Amino acid sequence: MRPHHYNGACMDMIVIDKLRKVFPTPDGRDKVAVDGVSFSVPQGRIYGLLGPNGAGKTTTLRILSGLMKPTSGRAVLDGHDVGVDREAVKRVIGFLTANTGLYQRLSARDILRYFGKLHGFSHKRAVARAEELIGWLGIGDFADLRCGVLSTGQKQRVNIGRALVADPPILILDEPTLGLDVLSNRVILDFICRERNEGKTIILSTHYLDEAETMCDVVGLLHNGNIVAEGTVDELRKLTGVERLSGIFLKLIHADDPAGKMQG
Amino acid sequence: MNVRRAGTIYVKELVDILRDHRTLTAMIVAPIILYPLLMLGGIQAASTQSKGIEDEKITVGFEHEWQWERVIKPMLVEERRIIERMRSRAVAKEVADEIPEPLGEHVVPKWIGNIEDGVLQHLVHCGVSLPDSAEDEGANAIFTAVTIVVQSDEVRSQIAGKRLAQALERVGLDRRDKSLRRLRVDPRLIDPIGIEYKRLATPGSVLGLILPFILVLMTVTGAIYPAIDLTAGERERGTLESLMVCPVPTIDLIVGKFMAVTTIALIAAALNIASVTATVMFGGLQDVLARDASGESHGFPYWALPVVLFTLVPFAVLMSAIMIAVCAFARTFKEAQNYIMPVIMLVLVPGGIAALPGTKLEGVMIVMPVANMVLLTRELLSGVSIAGATFATVLVSTSFYAAVAVAIAAQVFGKESVLFADSVSFRTLISRRLIRPRRFPSLSGAGLYAAVLFPFWFYVQSAMQSAGEDSTVSVLRWTAIWMPVFFVFVPLAIALYWKLDVGDTFRLGPFRARAIVGAVLLGLTAWVPAHELVVLQDWLVPTPAGLADSNKALAAALASMSPVLAFCVIALVPALCEEFFFRGFLLSGLRTSFGKWAAILCGAAAFGAFHYFIFRFPVTASLGVLLGWVCWQSRSIWPAVVVHALHNGTAVLLAVRPSIASWMGLPESETATHLPMHVVLPAIAVLGLGILLLRSIPDSATE
Repeated sequence: MRPHHYNGACMDMIVIDKLRKVFPTPDGRDKVAVDGVSFSVPQGRIYGLLGPNGAGKTTTLRILSGLMKPTSGRAVLDGHDVGVDREAVKRVIGFLTANTGLYQRLSARDILRYFGKLHGFSHKRAVARAEELIGWLGIGDFADLRCGVLSTGQKQRVNIGRALVADPPILILDEPTLGLDVLSNRVILDFICRERNEGKTIILSTHYLDEAETMCDVVGLLHNGNIVAEGTVDELRKLTGVERLSGIFLKLIHADDPAGKMQG
Repeated sequence: MNVRRAGTIYVKELVDILRDHRTLTAMIVAPIILYPLLMLGGIQAASTQSKGIEDEKITVGFEHEWQWERVIKPMLVEERRIIERMRSRAVAKEVADEIPEPLGEHVVPKWIGNIEDGVLQHLVHCGVSLPDSAEDEGANAIFTAVTIVVQSDEVRSQIAGKRLAQALERVGLDRRDKSLRRLRVDPRLIDPIGIEYKRLATPGSVLGLILPFILVLMTVTGAIYPAIDLTAGERERGTLESLMVCPVPTIDLIVGKFMAVTTIALIAAALNIASVTATVMFGGLQDVLARDASGESHGFPYWALPVVLFTLVPFAVLMSAIMIAVCAFARTFKEAQNYIMPVIMLVLVPGGIAALPGTKLEGVMIVMPVANMVLLTRELLSGVSIAGATFATVLVSTSFYAAVAVAIAAQVFGKESVLFADSVSFRTLISRRLIRPRRFPSLSGAGLYAAVLFPFWFYVQSAMQSAGEDSTVSVLRWTAIWMPVFFVFVPLAIALYWKLDVGDTFRLGPFRARAIVGAVLLGLTAWVPAHELVVLQDWLVPTPAGLADSNKALAAALASMSPVLAFCVIALVPALCEEFFFRGFLLSGLRTSFGKWAAILCGAAAFGAFHYFIFRFPVTASLGVLLGWVCWQSRSIWPAVVVHALHNGTAVLLAVRPSIASWMGLPESETATHLPMHVVLPAIAVLGLGILLLRSIPDSATE
């Protein structure tokens, strides 16, 4: 892991400050998807972003990965501000979701080389990196098959390889286990643990609470575009007096939304 | 743009598409099967069809049996004898071939009660009625009035009637000539003027009429599937997100993608052309297809096929970029197909107009997208020689539209509202409420207006040329009136609607004193290198006589105006308007996506193209480079306006006051003569000084 130096005392790998994203709609009403989210993640930690569907998790993560511009606020990843230099941000992150597809007509090997080159690797380096990932992720047996014929678990491994191609210090994982079977799920969770041990900084969004409980150092509960509570799972237990994370979650959301109209 | 990265994307997309059997089917199997089927089958079917009508038996209705037995049948027997006689007399084989078959054995008589009903009810092809007197007189009466009844909206009935009439007329003429000879009268006295048609046609082959449209259509068809697959398809399969999180600028992505689509479209076009060639060569269709309307064969212009393929390159780029821009809106393959059909229809309308016989590659058609390509291909395949300038104008204008389409595609593709919105509509792009204020126009926005203005302004100018009585003077006046509308007011309205910073967009800001001094120096002397460039160009490629004539007409028109008016119409108004548009609006759009020199060069190329004259392109484009650079250095259009106005003004002055030219010792003839050294050397020195002054302006940190 290369050392990171920052101005001042901040050692946080990811700093998000009052991030806001408003989608204008043609009918005239603005839709506020992210409403002033602030948090930071120190290097080598897993930050869990929890929340129901529509809470703003995906939008937040899309801004962090440079896919969207924030309406206001700042997000700095490894010293690069998404509002200033999105390409630099894209260079230091790996991005993975459960929906990320693979090119059906290319082989795993082709894909890994292709994404290496997109990150600016020379042909030689892209080939070498692809072989490294193939060995490491156990893709060797099916590396030359077209991705269209692979099983879900196999595809997930290739996808992980794709996200890791440039060996980024930060990983942004948007519901990476959504809809996966037990085996594929295991592949992803093992990968997350291994990357954390490598010293990578990870943001993991999920709405599987048990997953967050076992994986995350810190969780932030996102509701209606805002973080309603943040801390380790133990801290949240003390805060609410509820044992299970799902209970904590419901309690905090209802506190935030007294009418109790929360859905989903 | 990073060429290597765009290349990586290009290669990957090409491999990806070519591994898809659907693409291969559409690209390879379709042309290989289509052409032989279409051309061999269609042409043979058509020819056997018409031959069938000509040869088939005709049923002729009579009211009474005697009409056939006593009158018509003997006449047809006589016709057979006449034709046999003609045959035996014909010397040359060609003449003998043109003598028709006797009609006799093809006629089937039929007896029906009412002839007219019989014809209308299709019981017979045609009917014959004779006066009752003919029953007694028989076939050898002095005069027989024959009425032939046909149904005028029935092709078979008409042809049958015509064949019968021709046979009977032949008999009549033969009898007339015989009678006259018996009376020792020259038959020509009765018909003193012999008229014979010789049908000529513009040498346009049958192939030239249909093939261009098919080729254009197949190029478009070839691009549809990959265009959808690389945009909407990528989104549908969830690969777009992983692509967009790579540190690759959208322009690299879009260039790689649309190059792949273009390549597929061109492969499709090449395969189509190859298939046409093979069908023509091995199907023995050279003569059938390469005929003109008079039936004369001109030989098939095989040499034109590679030229056609070359001209299709910018067209394929244009169509690919348009399709990518449209498909980028779609979330699924199906949606993309829905979007693309109306667009293709819209694009093919000008192509269809051009495919109509009689449309020529001239006037506004030269710069009309799609139509110019159809017409150019048609003229090439017809073996017509095309003026090099026209050819180049078609290619340059198509390339220009293509460049704009690519910029728009890149703009649309990168937009997050297009990338992620759940329901994207075109409205989100133009609804003013959703537009964020910006400093400069986007490249695609500025380019789109330039692309629309390009053929339109050409049309306005030609309209003025054809309307004016005193042509050159009135064109100059009307240009001075309309130019502010399209080059100033419309861009201004666009800038206001799009919430652009008007001062920044049109570079109306302040400038340094030395910028204006430099501009004056450049404006007074730029005509010298410009003139030398024209001389050089004339030495390489002789300028056509028409240009020198129009230059003379311009000089004469300027001399006839008042000097103030002349200065206004040729120097002041064009300088203001063109700087406002080219160095203001367009260059501001270009600077958002390009570096300094790329932006200046692209702007200069557009400036040159807008003069619509390929022989003036080098000099106008060079002037465009100078003006663009002046504007860039001074961060304001006003010094460029000064250069432009002074440059044009010098031309006016030299034209209006020949005494000044002779005082300076300038040569009499305007073209192809070098200027004397006592003019060139000081001019270069002054020019250099102006450039140094402008160069010395420090780069501002905000730029």
